[in-house]
Amino acid sequence: MLSRSAERIYWLARYLERTENTARLISVHMNLLMDLPKGVEMGWPHLIRINSCEKLFFEHYKVANERNVTNFLLVDERNPISLYSSLVYARENMRTTRELLPDESWEQVNEMYLYVKNHLDSVNNRRGRIVFLDEIMQGCQRFTGLLSGYMSHNAPYRFIRLGRNIERADMTSRILELACLLLSESRSNEMRHYESILWRNILQTLNALLMYRQHVRSRVKGDDVLNYLLRDTALPRSIACCISDIATAINLLPNNDILPKKVIELQTYVQTIDTDKATQFQLRKILDDLQSRLGDLHNDITENWFLVQEQTQSQTAEAG
Amino acid sequence: MSKIWENYQTDITYDELMLSGFQPRPSSYILCQYLNSLTQESIEKRKVAAELAILEMGISFTVYSDEGNIDRAWPFDIIPRIIEAKEWHHIEKGLKQRLKALNCFIADVYDQQLFIKEGKIPGDIINSSKNFRPQCVGIKPRHNAWANICGSDLVRDEHGTMFVLEDNLRVPSGVSYMLENRVITKRIFPELLENISILPIDDYPAQLHEMLSSIAPEQCTSPQIVVLTPGIYNSAYFEHAYLAKQMGAELVEGSDLVVEEDEYVYMRTIDGLKKVDVIYRRIDDEFLDPEVFNKKSTLGVSGLMRAWKAGNVALSNAPGAGVADDKVVYAYVPEMIRFYLNEEPILPNVPTYLCSEPEQLEYVLEHLEELVVKPANESGGYGMIIGPHATAKEIKEFKVLIQKDPRNYIAQPTLSISTSPTLCKDVLEPRHVDLRPFILQGEETFVTAGGLTRVAMVKGSLIVNSSQGGGSKDTWIIDMEEVKETQ
Repeated sequence: MLSRSAERIYWLARYLERTENTARLISVHMNLLMDLPKGVEMGWPHLIRINSCEKLFFEHYKVANERNVTNFLLVDERNPISLYSSLVYARENMRTTRELLPDESWEQVNEMYLYVKNHLDSVNNRRGRIVFLDEIMQGCQRFTGLLSGYMSHNAPYRFIRLGRNIERADMTSRILELACLLLSESRSNEMRHYESILWRNILQTLNALLMYRQHVRSRVKGDDVLNYLLRDTALPRSIACCISDIATAINLLPNNDILPKKVIELQTYVQTIDTDKATQFQLRKILDDLQSRLGDLHNDITENWFLVQEQTQSQTAEAG
Repeated sequence: MSKIWENYQTDITYDELMLSGFQPRPSSYILCQYLNSLTQESIEKRKVAAELAILEMGISFTVYSDEGNIDRAWPFDIIPRIIEAKEWHHIEKGLKQRLKALNCFIADVYDQQLFIKEGKIPGDIINSSKNFRPQCVGIKPRHNAWANICGSDLVRDEHGTMFVLEDNLRVPSGVSYMLENRVITKRIFPELLENISILPIDDYPAQLHEMLSSIAPEQCTSPQIVVLTPGIYNSAYFEHAYLAKQMGAELVEGSDLVVEEDEYVYMRTIDGLKKVDVIYRRIDDEFLDPEVFNKKSTLGVSGLMRAWKAGNVALSNAPGAGVADDKVVYAYVPEMIRFYLNEEPILPNVPTYLCSEPEQLEYVLEHLEELVVKPANESGGYGMIIGPHATAKEIKEFKVLIQKDPRNYIAQPTLSISTSPTLCKDVLEPRHVDLRPFILQGEETFVTAGGLTRVAMVKGSLIVNSSQGGGSKDTWIIDMEEVKETQ
């Protein structure tokens, strides 16, 4: 498999996972709004904050209200991490690696792209937005299912797994961060009152409520949910499970060098995270730290498989 | 007759589906009957379904424009064009004969040049050809096949005779659209296809793979084949990806390849460097290797020509094959067939006047109003003039151009090329069509069953190129013997 194709396909998976998770993030926020009593304050700025794109947002909008934030995160082309932008990048990466993927998967992404393009306005009202987000989440799942059922589980598939799981782990940590932010504000005393509603919504967003109930067998509690979503190795969207999938994929790829060792380190790190005594502030630091470690892992992958090309080129340039 | 035929008038041209007086040709009888059985609404539905399928399948081509490159949906007309198998087999023979002769000619040009020595063609024409590559003299590709993939354009005149209009021997495009057109037809006319036996076309990628394997360096048992594309901004990128995918070959860009000191070509993979045996290149000669051709090109691979000359990698089409793509050389193809194969040409050329010949030049300049004049080495319908449609001023200007560089121009009578019913708004109207079959030559020779029919969507227009607004149709080769048996 060409290094260039490996990189394109890895990013394809990242962009699509980002598309799906952006939909999930907005979805959890909207559900909370509808579940919680009117008096509880829930700020839309949090969504901008956990995506680390405050600067860009305020360049284009004055207030972080529902309409502006959802517009910015879902359909704004000027935001490179908006759902629409992610989907456009995913489609473009796919268009340039079509020879490696089943036709049906390309058609699936293309259809989703055409759907979003034709429904950009629908996100301006809640009813339209809910339909829109559902369509995206289902579409992304169809894509994943198609690949799992149609594609050889070979090198290209492994790069898809790498990209998907790095992005997924990162996004799960951001969704957890949202919960921490909502709970940590001093004015959120009332929110704390409804804490179990918050955590239930988080679980639901990650399609994990049923699995949580079967696994934990008690009512929904913050610490249990955090532990479950961080350290469980069986739930597809828990961070430990994502990393374990990354580890498997890396071990099956050629020339993996020092990467398995680094992934084991990361696995150990996640298993030793102790959320029991952590304050909300410490917890946010832990999640930040986790995100930066995932970033390091991404850099290692890039250096190991994708940069082959440039290295050789600079070597020949030197030789010449 | 159904309403959709209301304004159908074939006047003086030959129509591919209809005899005069609304009488379908025997081969198109079932199709016409079926179209008549459909309501206006259901025809419209099929048209919309086809457009949607093209959009969702992402069948596209790239158009260069001032605002950057746009990826456009492939223009497709749902009404197929039909040719009887009996006629087709004759054409097929003619195309094989033609490509064989052309390959003999190219091989001769880079070897003994007997064709020139025997006075069959002036040597000047070869020496002054833009696509003659002196770097290729003395090279002998396997099976003597230089042009492995040829897309010849055929047109039919008002009497029904098929002519070869030109041979595309550099990097001819369109075969992927031919294949996708059939896929769409199967989706939108499944009931119709149940009753008609159409020769299949979907073995082209397998034939292409076979041909490419047959030209691999001899020591290769299971050759590594790649498709070399200039990249996603090329107008035919869709096709490059499509063919790579259908053959299970890698789609590479110049920067993915490297020629090492051992003069072998390698590609950069996640396993490290991997040897490449056959390159189906979709990059023009001039950009293939900056060491030999265009020094500034970043599309190609440094050292590629060295590896090719050393016999370590096969290039398809071979560099230099374009010498036979020259429209002046085209005029000599019938003579090549007689000279190299000792046969009479099966398919006629369109009568061609060479401006390099003083007497013919004189005729061309006097009769410009009736002729089509084309530059020898352009493609895509650029730089030509259609006499009957040109203004007096344009003709005057063109005369100057021709006189300045007569070698670069040929002229042909303006043919009244055939038409085929095409869905325009909600009725069928005759539109001019041509046909591009694809011919492969490696160890064996192969011709697609039919080809890509291109259609001029604008009323009266003769321009069929998709880059200039042309459309396309599915092309059916129908075995009439079989039709009779089932009736």
